Amino acid sequence: MIQLTFSLLVGFALLVILYFFARGGKVSAEGSAQQLREARQTLDSLQFGLLPGDLVHRIFATDDLEYVRQSAQPQVQSLFLSERKDISLAWVRRVRGAIVELMRFHRGHARLYARLSLSTELLLALNFARLLTVCRLLEIALYLRGPYAAPGMVRTVAGAAGRVCAISEESLVFLKASQINRLKNDPSHHGASV
Amino acid sequence: MDFSANYTNVEQAEDDLRRRSLAHMAAPLERMIYLGSTRDYNTGLYYHDGLSSRFSEMVACQALANCHREAYQQVLQSSIEDLVQQLDSYIQSTNSAPRDFIAAWKNLQPYRVAVPAETDPLAAEFLCSNVKIALSIWEVHQSGRSRQPLNASLPQ
Repeated sequence: MIQLTFSLLVGFALLVILYFFARGGKVSAEGSAQQLREARQTLDSLQFGLLPGDLVHRIFATDDLEYVRQSAQPQVQSLFLSERKDISLAWVRRVRGAIVELMRFHRGHARLYARLSLSTELLLALNFARLLTVCRLLEIALYLRGPYAAPGMVRTVAGAAGRVCAISEESLVFLKASQINRLKNDPSHHGASV
Repeated sequence: MDFSANYTNVEQAEDDLRRRSLAHMAAPLERMIYLGSTRDYNTGLYYHDGLSSRFSEMVACQALANCHREAYQQVLQSSIEDLVQQLDSYIQSTNSAPRDFIAAWKNLQPYRVAVPAETDPLAAEFLCSNVKIALSIWEVHQSGRSRQPLNASLPQ
């Protein structure tokens, strides 16, 4: 009975894997271009919107907290903490959302276009898993203990997200305008090098 | 159109704008509000008669947009303490009655429409949240200031 159950489970797992392979193979040109554009937008939003060091520093800056504690009444202090909590939660949720989008893109499409080595893909998978876990933990910490609960975790999320962005950049580098212009101007790149 | 020449013109227009119109505005918050007000909300384009007459409408629009983004970034990077000072300086420059100013800013939240286009929504929300807190702190300071002369005149 145990052997039968085990065999059934293995069979089911293989079917699931086959399903994902089959699904991954049916990538239409239009859908693929759309997903590439979306991945580029997600990456840009992460790099230029959510992860710039000065923005992250300001959101979680303790000097603001100290100033408000020293110079404001209790109700303004409560307002400040509540506003910062909302902003910090929105930040970590958006970073997590963007990472999930990038992970989905990599799982489905990146390997069709990019020349990523196996070790890079493994590194990327590990970074994704680690980052999503830390994002979730940070979200819980911010929700329960406020915006200044886990500065170390904020640094970890920002650092790991930066690494994921750098690796994702390799997959999407050909979508940059400068690269496209260079390809247009370089006669040796005529044809479908992308 | 020669792009490099145009780019140089935009830089010159920005420089002109900084030396003339923006020279009297020390606080980035004041510059952001002013530059936001030069934008047509129906088209998203910036207009400045003096700058357009010296350069062209397109160059003036680009220069105003660049300076607006610059001022926005400076406000975004300001601490709450700095923002309270910027707010104080701005309110003094408007010559408005503090009570009217606070009521208008709390109800209308004009700083929300002074944010440049195509900025990240989270960053814009963060800026508005900071201005809201700075305004609350400034209001407390202001009410403290207005009570001071009264306390000073009280008999010992």
